[in-house]
Amino acid sequence: MSGITRKFGRNVAVDAVTLDAGPGVLGLLGPNGAGKTSLLRMLATILPPSSGQLTLLERDPRNPADRREIRRRLGYLPQHLGYYPSFTVVEFVEYFALLKEVPPHLVPKAVAAAVEKVDLGPKAKAKLRTLSGGMLRRVGIAQAIVNEPELLLFDEPTAGLDPEQRVAFRALIRVLGQAATVVVSTHLVEDVGAACTEVALMSDGKVVFRGTPEELTARGEEGQGVGDAPLERGYSAILAAARTAS
Amino acid sequence: MTVAALSRYQARVLRIEIRRSVVLWSVPLLAALFFFDSFRTAAGFLPAWTARSSVITNNMIADFGPFAAGLAAWVASREGRRKTGDLLTTTVRPAWARQASALGATLFWLLLTFLAGVAALYVDTARQATWGGPPVWPVVVGVVEVITFAVIGFTAGALFPGRFTAPLAAIGCFLLATVGYHAATAARSGKGTPALLSPATTVPLGDVGVFYHVAPDVAIAQVMFMGGVTVALLGLLTLAPVFRISFRGLLAGVSRVGRWLCIAGVALLAAGVAASATAFSLAGTARLGISGWEIPALHDAASDQPIPYTPDCAGSSFKVCVHPAFSGFLSDANTALQPVAAEIAGLPGAPVRAEQVPSGDGVLGTQGMNFAGVPKPGLSGTPAVYRYISEDGLAPFWGSPAGADNASWRAGFQQDFLTAFVAGPPLAAGPGPDAAELPPTAAQQAVITVLMIKAGSVAPDFGEDMTNNGQPAAGATPTQIAAAAQRFASLSPAARHAWLAANLPALRAGTTSLAQLP
Repeated sequence: MSGITRKFGRNVAVDAVTLDAGPGVLGLLGPNGAGKTSLLRMLATILPPSSGQLTLLERDPRNPADRREIRRRLGYLPQHLGYYPSFTVVEFVEYFALLKEVPPHLVPKAVAAAVEKVDLGPKAKAKLRTLSGGMLRRVGIAQAIVNEPELLLFDEPTAGLDPEQRVAFRALIRVLGQAATVVVSTHLVEDVGAACTEVALMSDGKVVFRGTPEELTARGEEGQGVGDAPLERGYSAILAAARTAS
Repeated sequence: MTVAALSRYQARVLRIEIRRSVVLWSVPLLAALFFFDSFRTAAGFLPAWTARSSVITNNMIADFGPFAAGLAAWVASREGRRKTGDLLTTTVRPAWARQASALGATLFWLLLTFLAGVAALYVDTARQATWGGPPVWPVVVGVVEVITFAVIGFTAGALFPGRFTAPLAAIGCFLLATVGYHAATAARSGKGTPALLSPATTVPLGDVGVFYHVAPDVAIAQVMFMGGVTVALLGLLTLAPVFRISFRGLLAGVSRVGRWLCIAGVALLAAGVAASATAFSLAGTARLGISGWEIPALHDAASDQPIPYTPDCAGSSFKVCVHPAFSGFLSDANTALQPVAAEIAGLPGAPVRAEQVPSGDGVLGTQGMNFAGVPKPGLSGTPAVYRYISEDGLAPFWGSPAGADNASWRAGFQQDFLTAFVAGPPLAAGPGPDAAELPPTAAQQAVITVLMIKAGSVAPDFGEDMTNNGQPAAGATPTQIAAAAQRFASLSPAARHAWLAANLPALRAGTTSLAQLP
């Protein structure tokens, strides 16, 4: 993406962001209101940019045919997962597989694989209304990966997961990142440290840092940041510098 | 992607939607409503196909319509209520395809329940009906109406996805049906006939569709109107994402939704509005004919010919005949009329036969309209034949609680028969078609009373009509009439018969006074 801006009325949510990402896991860090979700929604083809050039999977999402092809190869987990309580786990994932036009003969296998990957096999036939928040989150992940996407977008994916599930999820996205471009929006720096190969830090709609988790850690060791962990110190140091500059 | 592949996707999504449809939960309630309202109402009608099938549009629609609208609104508002919009936007299949599956599943259960009700109704009617077959048009109108109500609710739910949309859609459709019903029942030739587009209206007379075919004109207009509304709303649903993106950036919206989809939406909207407007204008030209409401532009005059039939008859010297559709009533009608016919047998002008004739246009409240070639009720011909209509002769009997009022039905039927013979056609009390009918004269009432009592029946009730200046309309008080009847009854049968044979013309002309009765 090049110079991408998104405005809501007079409010600029994303301000001239230029970013590119290839296979691997890109962590999108930033405080609440930094513009992470707006950026992710543009990457998910939900929102069109107000200005700038966006290219996803080498296609232009403004073009309806390209947009369809992008969506066919896209997985998205929103911050707040909406779901239909009367559907079972399998039905919900199958529903999305069909809407993503996974070839019909491959749907049962793809659904079973996605459900197994998120460790929901024993609950496959349970109605969604009977599941806990953590399990629902995993159902959301299953629907996102059912079409084996090349671009995966996770918005606060570990919210609501217990520590054990969080560890399992980080392992999963590391595996997914080997073949696909995974963008994880979060404000939990430990997620970034454990799972991401690259980090982009946003503040006030702008990307104020782009590098590896190790580079972010190094910025914290320069002594300007606050926090318990090195990554947290790097995060706070960059944010403090960005706020001072603006 | 091929059409076959797209159909496979659509079919599989539809299968999930059908399995998890919220309408399933409402089926027991709809079944109970059908049984306690529609089915039991139909059981109270004559076992004639047209009368029984009228509950499809009059009762079943009133029961199903608001539920169809409410449930469809609930399903359509699901994406908004459950906040799945973002997630679904990122999928490949367009919004209209998802909505089509959700609407399809809703309609699947609604129509299945509706058609099961129709089947139960028709099976029950088939067990009792003695003539004719199940009418198709009420079923077609009913199905289209259920679809229309569902699409109205679905559109409301999709455009305003709140939790109050469903109850508001149900209440709105209930009010719409109620207003339509009242407007339709008030429709008269040349006045307010567009209201006939409302499927619910008055219950037709029992013999509608028996002597003459029911004209499908209004049903065709109803299907055209409701089909038009449905198609227009589907067009609106197709175009909804364009407006949702931005009212100001209409062109940007069109580009994002897809040009062909927008063209399809506009075409559907225009076609639907055109069909509905045409149907509305056609209904405005409706007029009453022998087949019920007719629309000249749609009417097939060939269908106005009487349906040939061979009546079912009983008796020998005096025959009582009914249309084969009313065979179940023959025994009761024969038992009622034979004794009174025997009392007047051999008198000049005494009928040799009683036969059932059509009620008229078949619309309750306007029955008895004159149509060329249609025999009128009453006594006429040589030898004389007594003609009666099912609404006067048979329907009251059927409408009574199981046999409880059989005697009063029989007395009424006998009274009508004797009144036609002794008093002739009733005279109007004043000018104009709505003027009340004059009761038989006092002498006529006394003679009818005696003939009924001698036939083993109860004394008739002529009421106590008064003229404007407070005098009895019959010219004498009930006490005076009873005294004269007692005097006349005390004569021997031969003497009574002889007096009647000699004085019948004067008695019929109304010139015989009570005092002149022997």
